[in-house]
Amino acid sequence: MGVFKILKSLVIDSLDTITKGSVKYHIWMGVLTLVMLIGMYCYSIQLDQGLSVTGMSDRVSWGLYISNFTFLVGVAAAAVMLVMPTYVLKDIDFKQAVLIGEGLAVAALIMCLAFVVADMGGPSVLWHMIPGIGVFNFPNSMLTWDVIVLNGYLFINISIPFYILFRHYQGKEAKKKIYVPGAVLSVFWAVGIHLVTAFLYQGLQARPFWNNALLGPRFLASAFAAGPALIILVLAVIRSFTAFKIPDKTIKKIAMIVTVAAQINLIMLVSELFKEFYAPTHHSESAYYLFFGLHGKDALLPWIWTAIPLNVLATIILTFGKFRNNLKILYTCCFFLFVAIWIEKGFGLIVPGFIPGPYGKIVEYLPTGIEVGVTIGIWALGAFVFTILAKTAIGIELGELRYEKKKSSTL
Amino acid sequence: MFSCKEEGEYHSITDKIEAEQKPYHGKLTSEELLADTQLIKITEGEHIFLIPERKGQIKSFACIECHSKPLAQMRGLDGKKAHWDIKLNHANSETMNCATCHNPDDMNNLKTLTGQNVDLNLSYKVCAQCHSSQFEDWKGGAHGKKVAGWTPPRASMTCVNCHNPHSPSFETRWPVQFNTQKAIERKDDLDH
Amino acid sequence: MSDNKKWYTLDLGLNKKEETSGSCGCGKSQGSCNSHKEEEKEEEISHEEFYEAAINASIGEERSKDGFEQVFDVKMDRRTAFKKLTASLLIGAGAISSCTSVVNADSKEKAQIDWEEQFKGNYKLMIDEEKQGTVDRLMRSYELRTGKNISMTSENAEEDVLFGYAFNISKCQGYMNCVSACVEENNQDRNSEMQYIRIHEMKDGEGFKFDKADDNYYHEVPKEDHFYMGTQCFHCDNPPCVEVCPVQATWKEDDGLVVIDYDWCVGCRYCMAACPYDGRRFNWSKPEVPENEINKNQHYLGNRMRKKGVMEKCTFCVQRTRKGKNPACVEACPTGARIFGNLLDPNSTIRWVLENKKVFRLKEDLGTDPKFWYFMD
Repeated sequence: MGVFKILKSLVIDSLDTITKGSVKYHIWMGVLTLVMLIGMYCYSIQLDQGLSVTGMSDRVSWGLYISNFTFLVGVAAAAVMLVMPTYVLKDIDFKQAVLIGEGLAVAALIMCLAFVVADMGGPSVLWHMIPGIGVFNFPNSMLTWDVIVLNGYLFINISIPFYILFRHYQGKEAKKKIYVPGAVLSVFWAVGIHLVTAFLYQGLQARPFWNNALLGPRFLASAFAAGPALIILVLAVIRSFTAFKIPDKTIKKIAMIVTVAAQINLIMLVSELFKEFYAPTHHSESAYYLFFGLHGKDALLPWIWTAIPLNVLATIILTFGKFRNNLKILYTCCFFLFVAIWIEKGFGLIVPGFIPGPYGKIVEYLPTGIEVGVTIGIWALGAFVFTILAKTAIGIELGELRYEKKKSSTL
Repeated sequence: MFSCKEEGEYHSITDKIEAEQKPYHGKLTSEELLADTQLIKITEGEHIFLIPERKGQIKSFACIECHSKPLAQMRGLDGKKAHWDIKLNHANSETMNCATCHNPDDMNNLKTLTGQNVDLNLSYKVCAQCHSSQFEDWKGGAHGKKVAGWTPPRASMTCVNCHNPHSPSFETRWPVQFNTQKAIERKDDLDH
Repeated sequence: MSDNKKWYTLDLGLNKKEETSGSCGCGKSQGSCNSHKEEEKEEEISHEEFYEAAINASIGEERSKDGFEQVFDVKMDRRTAFKKLTASLLIGAGAISSCTSVVNADSKEKAQIDWEEQFKGNYKLMIDEEKQGTVDRLMRSYELRTGKNISMTSENAEEDVLFGYAFNISKCQGYMNCVSACVEENNQDRNSEMQYIRIHEMKDGEGFKFDKADDNYYHEVPKEDHFYMGTQCFHCDNPPCVEVCPVQATWKEDDGLVVIDYDWCVGCRYCMAACPYDGRRFNWSKPEVPENEINKNQHYLGNRMRKKGVMEKCTFCVQRTRKGKNPACVEACPTGARIFGNLLDPNSTIRWVLENKKVFRLKEDLGTDPKFWYFMD
């Protein structure tokens, strides 16, 4: 009984928090809402006319949506980089960053699911995928594995922070016995979601560009670079806009993670490039298309040649502690890395997998305006969700939101 | 190992075929589909199958209605030349003329190189003299087409159902399709 | 109907109607229906109005569209999905109390069919009775919308049959009669010019250079120094597309055909990415076939009308082959380059080809085990 009462109070309080804020906050939320509405309008056009309004074709049958989905799974998985030391290794520095990281994971997962739904040809029959009502092709289809691990991860990442915040809201300490097992599970789970997502592509013998044993590990390395990089940027924003205290030490520790992951990612990139170009076979054509263009078709060149220099540059700069500890340089590098990996793990991975086609035919892919609209809309949705989560969490952590406090004030 | 994942029993499709093969006597037959076609049963080696009857399809059969005398006796007479429209385009003129296949002494029949009569319904025997590899393939079913479906009884078209015996090779022509959407998609030149 | 049905039923009172003898569907005996007519009239109208409103809410603009669209393109976005859920409750409530009139029986039947089609189960798991049920609904639905009849069947795989195909690359002349025949037989979308078959024009002496081959040529054929090679779905014995489908909307039948339940497909296109042979096609927009060009001899798994957002592919013309005929491409080929038959029958011509010619398959190293062989004279 009491729990429900507290829950009700929490919901009311958090609604109260998220609807109040500075002018900047309202402008931010207003802009996000507008972008989401534009995205929904674009999606309604897509629903009406079919996926033909996108740039996809029988040749390149996955595009911007699945690219973003793949990338965001990585971002979601990266939350674990913060969970692990905090909960398991008891490294106190990370504690505040964890709530933000997990909030980011939740937002990223919601975006992932939105991108998958946006990519579906028949969203009205998605219930066919619900185990029990529909037919779930488990364990044969990696997509069913992905559905399970993504939703499971979403559940874990909602429940752990919720439990902690719920306790803090009541002014109590969270019991370690309850949340630590969940945190440990989520560590393994995070590796799982990204590996399973990599296997989604890796398991296709039809696509030599993906059918390569390094794909999974490289997914992990790039995710653990891009995810914490995004967290650093978000923490920087939170630091300057709220009273939430995040010590430099925390950010520098995360920067360390970013650096190591980016270095490993770069080594793997070199290994991949060596394999494709030292002794090129018929299977290297996708890589040729990606980096140099094939038969005069070269739509991806500007993208990949933006990504690779940014990636290399950021990694090299971050390697030097002197630069890494300068916050301005760190933020710039994190931004570079984030953009570079977004291109690499999105466009640079999904699209060339389809080019050339099974019989060597090349049809190029460029997203249409509607596709871009839906994509930006979904990113706005993610930002919106994250802002709400972060604002509530920060409120509770700062002690502005308290069950007891409110009770006593109303009495 | 990979291919055994689902089947469990067989390694490959050939193993499966070997293990489960059995002459088909199921409920599906081509009888109904063949009902409207006049067919002749032939036996060539181990192959027994049906081919379409031919003589009923030739408009000016029987030939002896005009060719009342052996060709040698008719030659040189004035009068309209029959079959003026037939241009022989089969091997070359040193190898073949009308009488290589048609029996000049018995115009209702074809003949073999050694002068044996061959019924017009069984004209494939004449073709088979030179085109032996095609004949082998045809008997087995690798050359030519079926009259109806895949189900037994087997009824195969005979040589002259597809090839004009006087000009047996296929002509060049334009394809019946051009996919404009595909061309646009690939940004190919539309005017090939 | 069996007890363990695999779809969710909405009873609009139509099933009851058949049991009563009178033309009035109110479910009462004729005499009492007439005698109560006066009293009930007012109530009846309100029921009808309520009914119409509820159905409109649930299916919305679909009903006002032209007939063809309605049957085969029941759309639903999140908004209307929610609307439908609420409206279905309304209909449910209405169905209990309503008294059917002859006037709107048709629209009710349409709504009932739409409902049952939207929430039916996976064809693969249906028993024969249920398969017949959905086929009957689809035919009735077509009749209600267009006033014309189609014939749709649901034959299962024959015993002791395993379909296989052989393609003679020295015979094919590239006329593409097979491609046309396939499009017409299988009701493929005319707008996007969807084609299951591709004929690759390759240069002699270069081997199988698919990337250099032209599969959309338009000049007199056969071109000098070139040969032609056709590809389509190879109906692999170990099909990767079937493995990856998250909802088992595509599967291998007992006679070896790899088929799709168009109504069960969610349109994720994973199968398309998994196919090494370019055998699958997606309906990026609503497929359209002019009414007079529709092939009305259909099979549920074959050439029936598709909707937008689902996969489709070559089925070896299941609507023909399960009746003993050859696929349309085999029948249309003017050169006899295409051989089709039963792989399990040692007396079949396809078996003779496999045993006596030098056959090969494409990308055999992928372990897909296609049932489509190539050979040369």
